[in-house]
Amino acid sequence: MFDAIVVGSGMSGGWAAKELTEKGLKVLVIERGRHVEHGADYTDSLSPWELQNFGMVPEEEAAEHYGIQSQCYAFSTATKHFWVKDSEHPYTQAEGKPFMWIRGYHLGGRSIMWARQSYRMSEIDFESNAKDGHGSDWPIRYADMAPWYDHVEKFAGISGSKENLPQLPDGQFLPPMAMTDAELDFKAKLEAKYPGRKLIIGRCAHLTEAQPQHEELGRISCQYRSLCERGCSYGSYFSSLSATLPAARNTGNLTIVTDSIVHSVVYDPKTGKATGVRVIDANTKQGRTYEAKVVFLCASAIPTAQILLNSTSEAFPNGLANRSDAVGRYLMDHLSGMGAGGIYRGFEARYHHGRRPNGFYIPRYRNVTEPAEGFTRGYGFQGGVLRDNWRRGVSRPSVGAELKNELRRPGPWRIGLSGFGEMLPRPENRVTLHRTRKDKWGVPIVHIDCGLGDNEKKMIEQVAKDQREMLEMAGCTDIYVNKHYGGVGLGIHEMGTAHMGKDPAKSVLNKYNQAHDVPNLFVTDGACMASGGCQNPSLTYMAMSARGAHYAASFLKEGKI
Amino acid sequence: MSSAESATTLDRRSLLQAAILLVGGSVAGLPASALAQAAAPAERFFSPGQFAILGEFADTMIPRTDTPGAKDAGVPEALDALMTNWASGERQEQFRALVDQIGATGLLAARGDARLALVKKFDAERLGAHDPVYGRFKDLLLTVYYLSEAGATKELRYELIPGKWEPAVTVGTDTRAWAV
Repeated sequence: MFDAIVVGSGMSGGWAAKELTEKGLKVLVIERGRHVEHGADYTDSLSPWELQNFGMVPEEEAAEHYGIQSQCYAFSTATKHFWVKDSEHPYTQAEGKPFMWIRGYHLGGRSIMWARQSYRMSEIDFESNAKDGHGSDWPIRYADMAPWYDHVEKFAGISGSKENLPQLPDGQFLPPMAMTDAELDFKAKLEAKYPGRKLIIGRCAHLTEAQPQHEELGRISCQYRSLCERGCSYGSYFSSLSATLPAARNTGNLTIVTDSIVHSVVYDPKTGKATGVRVIDANTKQGRTYEAKVVFLCASAIPTAQILLNSTSEAFPNGLANRSDAVGRYLMDHLSGMGAGGIYRGFEARYHHGRRPNGFYIPRYRNVTEPAEGFTRGYGFQGGVLRDNWRRGVSRPSVGAELKNELRRPGPWRIGLSGFGEMLPRPENRVTLHRTRKDKWGVPIVHIDCGLGDNEKKMIEQVAKDQREMLEMAGCTDIYVNKHYGGVGLGIHEMGTAHMGKDPAKSVLNKYNQAHDVPNLFVTDGACMASGGCQNPSLTYMAMSARGAHYAASFLKEGKI
Repeated sequence: MSSAESATTLDRRSLLQAAILLVGGSVAGLPASALAQAAAPAERFFSPGQFAILGEFADTMIPRTDTPGAKDAGVPEALDALMTNWASGERQEQFRALVDQIGATGLLAARGDARLALVKKFDAERLGAHDPVYGRFKDLLLTVYYLSEAGATKELRYELIPGKWEPAVTVGTDTRAWAV
């Protein structure tokens, strides 16, 4: 018998485990995938010529086993072991509505391969549902989250600059990374032309100056290798394996089991509480049960919904904590893949040294400082201005010494912009259990029915217009604007499938991330999100997990649950 | 590694060393990647005739100058290995056909400037026609060269551990581009 079970060891599960163990609770973390050893299982010591096939996964293997995962930019022979084989982990999608579900099943989850951008949500975001009527009103506001953002930022190590922007609150930052001269030039031009827009350095979970709390765990400052998605042996960016799980282990209160797939949560109708979880051993397929006083679901949005929907009983015929019928609904991602770019003229006498694992960020301005035509909410841009390398020669006719001499010099500065837009919470975008198909462990697979609405389509159009206008304003040449939107899911920010709300009849969780229907069941991963903002959400999951763990531990101590 | 395999590897390595001595070179002067490629598994994907065409085309595209050329960097061997270890069946067929088409231009018979002119013409025509097979071929050729140890460190510059980020260093007369 444990005090708490945490399902999942990624961004959210790691934080729940750290906070609960530090409060003296005996915690079991259950991970469905294999063990990963921090450092030893990473490939960050390999130079480009040492990578298998120069990083290219064999074409037939990629098509047969990684049809979806291979669409992620971070998929290569150096990281292949961190992505699921789609062939082993099937799901179905609604006709004509592709959903690209990018994931990794191993200790640490996607906290190893994440893009590390770390932004707070703002009061504007927490008020959005109440103001425009979409989804459920958040039962919390920014003031509820601010101290928890402070708390997780100090421990995780977030680099950034203070900007005093209402739509993107400042935090407890390590020193910001520097911009290139071309980026500073673009910033000056942009802010002069559009008084409502700001260009700031990206806020990222990298130790630009490791502090004692980081060094205690063996983490050192970033070495600017930008090999992050292979895992960082230096622990220079935040992951469960570099930070939260080691901290949890240091308390002596942590137990981890890997290769253990949670089938469902066990519910006791006499007490009205969860008593533990049913698990299937990934290797032997044997079933077993673990018991605890509190259960945290941190399996990521879609699997958390899957577990709840698969936890049926007489009391909950449609899935545990699902009297609202909201479990699985309101699935969101961020609109992504909306790229644009061009040549940025000038600055030939300057170059960069090192590989900055970060770029710039243009925070949301639509419906904040500038109006929007025909849509609510907004979008931000990630980007960068760096000099081209030899790749510019690939499609250009040139051969021989001429080709070599041209490509040995740094190329022109090139700007890239990538839009990230908010998707509205809509009940029809949902995850359900497949009626008949089960995976090889006998768990019903999920069916994903998620598409774009009119608001998202209008936003995509405006993103493209804004990109072109900003690039032209800055005097860029060879401008391209890629309106292509690859499909929902490629933002890799699944959210909303067990959302927080004030009304138990319409939402799944209360303001403590506690299930309305089951008082000792907490959900602190992306499933809890009532709306998504347009910021990268991981920092919010961290803060939400620390906050939820605080309340769960308090309630337990007070005998409330 | 079985003893049979290690014997083969050893034999290949010593053969290569003998070949280098024959042409008056030294193993020490050879990029490690070339040795690794040569010591790697045996069977070639391309026929000896096709491999010769590939080698001359690559070395004309990226010749030895004051820095290693494609052959010095082991590009033909690396491309051949990619055909076995990476390419789909469809791509294998496309690349075999492409190498045959390059051969049909009379590449091997041409020498010096004539060969360079021939490669230049082929490159311009195929890129001009947006031939996707040639486009990918040139992409791979450049990738395998510039990401080889010789290409990345002798022709260009690469640091596994830069240690710092400097956003605005001054470009000098011989500043080389970063390979990555």
